[in-house]
Amino acid sequence: MSAFRTRHGASEIAATAILAVLALVVILPLVMPLLFAFKTQLEFSYHPWALPKRLLVINFVEAWKAVRIDQGLANTLIVSLGAIVCTLPPAALAGYVFARYRSRATEIAFYAILVGYFVPAQMVLVPLYKMEVAVRLNNTLYGLFLPMAAFGIPFWMMIYRSFFKSLPGELAEAARIDGAGHSATFFRVMLPLARPATVLALILVFIGAWSDYLLSLILLSDQRLFTMQLRVASFLNAYGTDRMPRYAAAAIISAAPTVILYIVGHRWIIRGTLAGAVKE
Amino acid sequence: MSAHDIENHGRGGGRKTRARDWKRGAFVFLCVLPAFLFLAVFLYYPIEETFRISTTKSLGLGPEIYIGLENYRRLLASQEFLAGLLHVFTWAFWSVVIQLPLAFAVAFLLSYYSNRFTGPLKSIFYLANVLPSAITAMLGKFVFAPNYGMIASFAKHIGWKWLGGVDFLGDPRLAFWAVFAVATWAYTGFPIIYLMARIEQMPKELREAAELDGASPWRYARSIVLPDLGYPLRILAVLCTVGSLKLFDLPNMMTTGGPGYATETLGIMLYRRGFIDWDYGLAAAIGVVIFLLSLLMTAAELSIGARREKIA
Repeated sequence: MSAFRTRHGASEIAATAILAVLALVVILPLVMPLLFAFKTQLEFSYHPWALPKRLLVINFVEAWKAVRIDQGLANTLIVSLGAIVCTLPPAALAGYVFARYRSRATEIAFYAILVGYFVPAQMVLVPLYKMEVAVRLNNTLYGLFLPMAAFGIPFWMMIYRSFFKSLPGELAEAARIDGAGHSATFFRVMLPLARPATVLALILVFIGAWSDYLLSLILLSDQRLFTMQLRVASFLNAYGTDRMPRYAAAAIISAAPTVILYIVGHRWIIRGTLAGAVKE
Repeated sequence: MSAHDIENHGRGGGRKTRARDWKRGAFVFLCVLPAFLFLAVFLYYPIEETFRISTTKSLGLGPEIYIGLENYRRLLASQEFLAGLLHVFTWAFWSVVIQLPLAFAVAFLLSYYSNRFTGPLKSIFYLANVLPSAITAMLGKFVFAPNYGMIASFAKHIGWKWLGGVDFLGDPRLAFWAVFAVATWAYTGFPIIYLMARIEQMPKELREAAELDGASPWRYARSIVLPDLGYPLRILAVLCTVGSLKLFDLPNMMTTGGPGYATETLGIMLYRRGFIDWDYGLAAAIGVVIFLLSLLMTAAELSIGARREKIA
């Protein structure tokens, strides 16, 4: 490794090597299915760890038919977009008011919404389900993303609040002096300035809705509405690991959208997660 | 308070001021309203309902009959519940003891020796954290499946018969640890990037001074970096503990709580009793237990940490 100039000599090389081995362990379960998925069952049972003799696609075709990830992707996209549309505006509006219009009443309202952050979703599953059945909201994608948004609003309200607090107050005042009303100040001046917070919320709410399993499991029973993760989970139940090549192909198909998303946006995703975590 | 607020509140009376106050109040009200509506429908009302249903006998579509604390008594008498509770605590304990030191070590090495490999390595470490739990479970089964799984087939390949025959997910002594290993694989990425961000916020002079004094990386990590991470480590410990209370996705998909109750969690019991047996009363009681325990643990861990900080 001649191009690798170190500042700390041997200890740096050793540490980097250890970290590289650990990273290998992390990606191994994602890479290994590639070795298994192109083989027939017979070839796999004799030479599981050899390179495939030829690239067999039948496992992928079968896995695709079993999981139908394309239908799942469409449903998941609707749920994710719905969650974004229902989470961001209420959170941004409330966060703005709690940052800029402080009074006894808004303080009380702030804590009332903050409480929601500490309530585990599992606590409200039973009444949530009963309520949705009563108003026929279960088994719809609305019925899924509306509660998702409700669970997300407290957190994003806090993020928006601390973001609006960090903006200099003079900006809002300048808009005021120019004759802008309360809502014009918010929409034309403050909200555009909060774009970093909005981008983070977009990414993380999307990922959260994309990954959901528990809520979809309870609220959806119509197979056609199944989200991606529900399809993966029902594949897990219905198809065993005994036909490993097909299973490996399904794992590749299921993981691919998220991995591609991550490769494209990993900087944003990591930055967003940190911004959400480090504040407060 | 901005100058505008003072101008509004400083002088009472005046029709203009009152009109402005009214506008301001209406704006505040309209801004908070949507968030409140969402929470009222999907959180406040269900919370109240959970408490109420937990005191009733409520099966499927049948009527709700008030039975006081009977559901809680049933929980305490149930082996499944005690197994779930035990796993909450063992899971929380081992995730704090194993995942956090591991994350600290990786985070420290990544930021101490930051070179052109550490950036991509960091992204790889976080990758598993972004995977939806269904896919994590799928890959976990891929690794641990009997006979054909990654470990079993590799063991056979190199001739380790003793390892090739192990059924990690089917053996009650191993299933918990197999699921725990998958969770460690998936969830250690977050503490790593979180601690890294904290370490990188530390003033550079500290490190320069330590290096001038001839401190080894180990000594620097132990005596300077670690003491500075008290608060983030505490937050991570709370997240681990509350996370183990809510544990559901991975064990439900990998082992459905089995074999026996070997990987049973409170979340799985809530789901099975509530949405497979349709025993709403019992499920609501489990929901209440999860809620109260998570409040208790958050408060306890934050206050213990805070006290220690004061002494130091």
